[in-house]
Amino acid sequence: MKKLAITLVVNDTEHELLVAPNRTLAQVLREDLGLTGTKQGCQVGDCGSCTVLLDDEPVNSCLVLAAQVTGRRVRTIEGVADGNRLHPIQEAMVEHGAIQCGFCSPGMILSAKSLLEKNPDPSNGDIRQALSGNLCRCTGYQKIVEAVADAAQKMGRA
Amino acid sequence: MGGKYDVIGGRARRVDAVDKATGKAIYAEDLRFVGELHGALLQSPLPHARVLNIDTSRALKLPGVKAVITHKDVPATRYGVSPARYDETVFAIDRVRYVGDEVAAVAAVDLETALEAIELIKVDYEPLPHVLTVDEALAPGAPQLHDEYPGNLCAEVHQEFGDLAAGFAQCDLIHEHKFVNKRQDGGFIEPQHSIAVYDHTGQLTLYSSTQVPHYVQRTLSMVTGVPIGKVRVVKPYVGGGFGPKAEANPLDLCASFLAMRTGKPVRMGYTRAQVFLHSRARHQFFHTMKTGFKKDGTIVALAHQCHLEGGAYSSFGIATVYYAGSLLGGPYRMKHMSYDGYRVYTNKPACGAQRGHGCVAARACFEQQLDIVAKQLDLDPIEMRLKNIMENGDVTCNHMSMSSLGMKECIQAVQTGSDWQEKRGKLPPGRGIGMASGFFVSGAGYPIYRSDTFHCTVTIKVQEDGGTVLVKTGAAEIGQGSDTTMAMIAAEAIGIPLEAVRLVSGDTDYGVDLGAYSSRTTLMTGHATKEAGLAVKETVLTALAQELGIERQRLDLKKGLVQISGEPVDFSALRTKYIKEHRGWTDHPDGEQLTFTEAARVAFLKHGTIVGTGKYKPPVLGGLHKGAAVGTSPAYGCSAQVAEVSVDLETGQIKVERITDAHDCGQAINLTSVEAQMEGSVSMGLGETMFEEVKFDKDGRVLNPSLGEYHIPTVLDMPEMKCIVVETGEPNGPFGAKEVGEGAIMPTIPAILNAVHDAIGVAIDELPLTPERVLKALAQAKQG
Amino acid sequence: MLLPRFEYHRPARLDEALAILAQHQGQAAVLAGGTDLLVGMKHKLMKPAHVVGLEALEGFGQIQEQEGMLLLGPMLTASALAGEPGVRARATALALGAGVLGSPQVRNRATVGGNVCNARPAADMCVPLLALGATALLQSAHGAREVPLSEFFLGPGRTVRTPGELLCGVKLPAGGPGVGSGYQKLGLRQALEIALVNVAAFVALEDDGQTVKTARVALGAVAPTPILSPGAEAALTGQVISEELIRQAAQAAAADARPIDDHRGSADFRRQEVLVLTRRALQQAWQAARQD
Repeated sequence: MKKLAITLVVNDTEHELLVAPNRTLAQVLREDLGLTGTKQGCQVGDCGSCTVLLDDEPVNSCLVLAAQVTGRRVRTIEGVADGNRLHPIQEAMVEHGAIQCGFCSPGMILSAKSLLEKNPDPSNGDIRQALSGNLCRCTGYQKIVEAVADAAQKMGRA
Repeated sequence: MGGKYDVIGGRARRVDAVDKATGKAIYAEDLRFVGELHGALLQSPLPHARVLNIDTSRALKLPGVKAVITHKDVPATRYGVSPARYDETVFAIDRVRYVGDEVAAVAAVDLETALEAIELIKVDYEPLPHVLTVDEALAPGAPQLHDEYPGNLCAEVHQEFGDLAAGFAQCDLIHEHKFVNKRQDGGFIEPQHSIAVYDHTGQLTLYSSTQVPHYVQRTLSMVTGVPIGKVRVVKPYVGGGFGPKAEANPLDLCASFLAMRTGKPVRMGYTRAQVFLHSRARHQFFHTMKTGFKKDGTIVALAHQCHLEGGAYSSFGIATVYYAGSLLGGPYRMKHMSYDGYRVYTNKPACGAQRGHGCVAARACFEQQLDIVAKQLDLDPIEMRLKNIMENGDVTCNHMSMSSLGMKECIQAVQTGSDWQEKRGKLPPGRGIGMASGFFVSGAGYPIYRSDTFHCTVTIKVQEDGGTVLVKTGAAEIGQGSDTTMAMIAAEAIGIPLEAVRLVSGDTDYGVDLGAYSSRTTLMTGHATKEAGLAVKETVLTALAQELGIERQRLDLKKGLVQISGEPVDFSALRTKYIKEHRGWTDHPDGEQLTFTEAARVAFLKHGTIVGTGKYKPPVLGGLHKGAAVGTSPAYGCSAQVAEVSVDLETGQIKVERITDAHDCGQAINLTSVEAQMEGSVSMGLGETMFEEVKFDKDGRVLNPSLGEYHIPTVLDMPEMKCIVVETGEPNGPFGAKEVGEGAIMPTIPAILNAVHDAIGVAIDELPLTPERVLKALAQAKQG
Repeated sequence: MLLPRFEYHRPARLDEALAILAQHQGQAAVLAGGTDLLVGMKHKLMKPAHVVGLEALEGFGQIQEQEGMLLLGPMLTASALAGEPGVRARATALALGAGVLGSPQVRNRATVGGNVCNARPAADMCVPLLALGATALLQSAHGAREVPLSEFFLGPGRTVRTPGELLCGVKLPAGGPGVGSGYQKLGLRQALEIALVNVAAFVALEDDGQTVKTARVALGAVAPTPILSPGAEAALTGQVISEELIRQAAQAAAADARPIDDHRGSADFRRQEVLVLTRRALQQAWQAARQD
């Protein structure tokens, strides 16, 4: 199995990596780059906990080969806050009690981020659609939806 | 905020939330150790077979393999959850009893090698006939799972309270009802993961995604033989538990044995499919309830039978079979009750505890029956419930004491909150509204093993230089918010702001804590935390009183400031001394009141490190009958819910439109977290009602071991939820607090069932409410 | 869960891709979005020695409209199709199907080419494409051929595509005035769901706006592949459309369904749902045809 040289721009930093072709983006992020905020709940695209943004679009990083996305931009949960200043979505998730066990939170936040970048004034239905690939077993989702709506409002005002 | 408390009762940001929002929170799989090995399990492909021979030679020869272990390499010690039914061994010795039973484990330099080695282990099995259902298992001549438990009966219960025959003799109406749920999966998003480290001093440290570090520690010590003083269990952040993570699992044990054998850290994790194989989740319950009523709706007597399909081992099952009966003693006054319960072994993964342990199907059956009978008696289902409802101070016929019970308040709250009067009986065809009630323990009254142990101990250390304290507790934050709850209780007890509290938890080094199960942490660990906080406060204020030369009683702490009653006291010398000690610092206290920081410093200079400790165990609870311990608790939380549904009468598809939920938690510590538990309970209950079912093929293999085919609710499936928090003030709880995590799931299933009944005119007595099941019910109704 | 080992190829040109497929006949899997292939490989259902990724191929992600036909590049994602105004207007059922496939994350990767080649009986894009009268465009190192989707599927996961062939596009008639389509999916959940039953319907009306010129009803999850209902087509064609006619067509579709009992649902239940969903899909299609 020939390793491949790839380039990934992760959280605005370019990485040159040598990866085996059978390694997923999730594995490379977690194991090679130490970005363990990307979680693995099912590894087959059923739960959304490994969601990252690939060129601003949410994808399940467990079902993407690292080799497939060479040259592309990836954003993980570690690249959402600005230093110690939380992104408004993170801030709202914390404030609204939308985080319990936290295992789905990184993926959830990235899905929400992608939504708000495209649609700054989403309806409740838009938010629910955007989060429908992120399973959460703790919250019943209500506080998450409220948090995203609140973040949208605050970002709109800013 | 406001009211009588400074910290609790408000809405606090969770202490763990920022780490979790930014990806910094570390879960077991995120840990890395230098030189670590990867482990893998060999699990039985057959539901029942004799193990004739295990050949590991080829696996051992594979480059990169560091150890291969089978039953020959580990003690045959039997373990389990309840010492009364230790029926598991680390590896199958002569027999495998379900598809997934552990046969061998491997440690290798990487996971790929470990998995390859697993495939090289050759096992000769002699297939045995198997049983997959209660009926098969109980049939005469059925294949037997455990020689010690003939008839495949894992446990049976026979109880009678009051005088059943006399009770039924008084009744105007007797209704018999059957109900069955389906086997569930916990559906937590983080699969179990364990890493064991064994060092040259003989210390075994296990990092595990567990709800119960304490029980894991005991099991590890018992099975590995490492003295318990040298076993440490650390729980990093845990991605949800809900019950199935409340026991030592094969990863914990195998990783430990492999680490001991290789001298290297060993990590092992379940795939999602293996989570389904390990299971330990909700049983399937077959309930039959015969209930007697008077014309006016008074509930008089209940004769109840239940069979539990348990899987191949006991897990929590003995407690489960008792719980399935005992919590029907409330929340309605009922003088006569009998219960006959049977937990049955089958060749399937073992079931265990899951949110609302043992009680949710029983509750669903009973509450559905109440609605049916209310209809027959032409009573409003809410009025009928209120007629029978227990109140503060009531004791159930099976000796459980309702020291506080805001059940009536909850029912009235959802009645108003849902506009019940305007909707009930007035909705168009296909739309319906229904309600139900329920209650649950605030911590099991007794530990799982018989002991006089404290259920928890907490230490609070005042940091030597300053105004912060460090709370150390073995309690398990698994997402429910216990870290924040304990930090808030500590702050409230001491009289300092939440920001002045740091907390470490989930480590057996920090003290005894039975863990996150039976909704025990807020009440029990809360008590211990409060006691430790009060001890700290006492020591600090006593030292300060001495220093100031005044009586201790004149001093108090509030929001981090020292309150001095009576004549003003000159503390300038003390402050000057503090400032001199901190020359060059820019944050000198300059207010008109002494600060906790200064007071704590005074105490340290007098006594050295200030430590307060707390502990808790419940008083003796419950009756004297066999099994009386199960269901006892120092307090009970309760819930009522109203569900509104619409049913597509052509496709059979149900949409839950709205849930109105009220829960009595005694006193909210963190209001946001109370609501969060209520909402989460509804989502799990909704999933079980609508979608969830672990299915098996005829050879005992799980047909749907994935989150794609085992359907937990998505955000699009969840209704709008309106949560109403009721606070009755629990005399046995810290600051009046009691549970919310499990009582809140009790009404969900029956509320939806009753709403569907209202919508389509048929009571469906089997879960889940798939379109197919709904269509079938509609067709049967049409036939009359 | 680990992926088995394989060599990875990332051709930049079509002839290069076809040459690789020709060279590794039967040993190479084609990787489009990966939402199906990688799952199968993780479950060890497939262990291809070579994987050919299509992401670098030019033009494979484009939509073209030529002579009343829509030409869909195989790498178009479900998200792109669901959101593309041209597809929503001219191939409504496809946009609807693509819009409810899996989840947003899955839709951002799953491609129309992958969906067609994976040939799942309940595939959310295959059922609409079948109703819309789509054709698969196949190429190999030796030439090209076009296969109507009605002849493309052979069984679950099996198609007429040979190992040396690559699906280079899907062609379908673009809807216009008097033409409409609809899609209905029944699952347990509202997302992350494989259909228990799904139905797509296509209706083209004569200039009188009421006589059915052409109609097709495609059924999912009721046979080893997505299937067309000849009965529904016969019931509708040449008739004046009405609620009653739609009911008759739905009954014909239910009769054409060949469902089996499995753990997701019984055959009877599925047939019953076909009746309801066909009716609703046809109503949707009729309404769309009238609106144009």
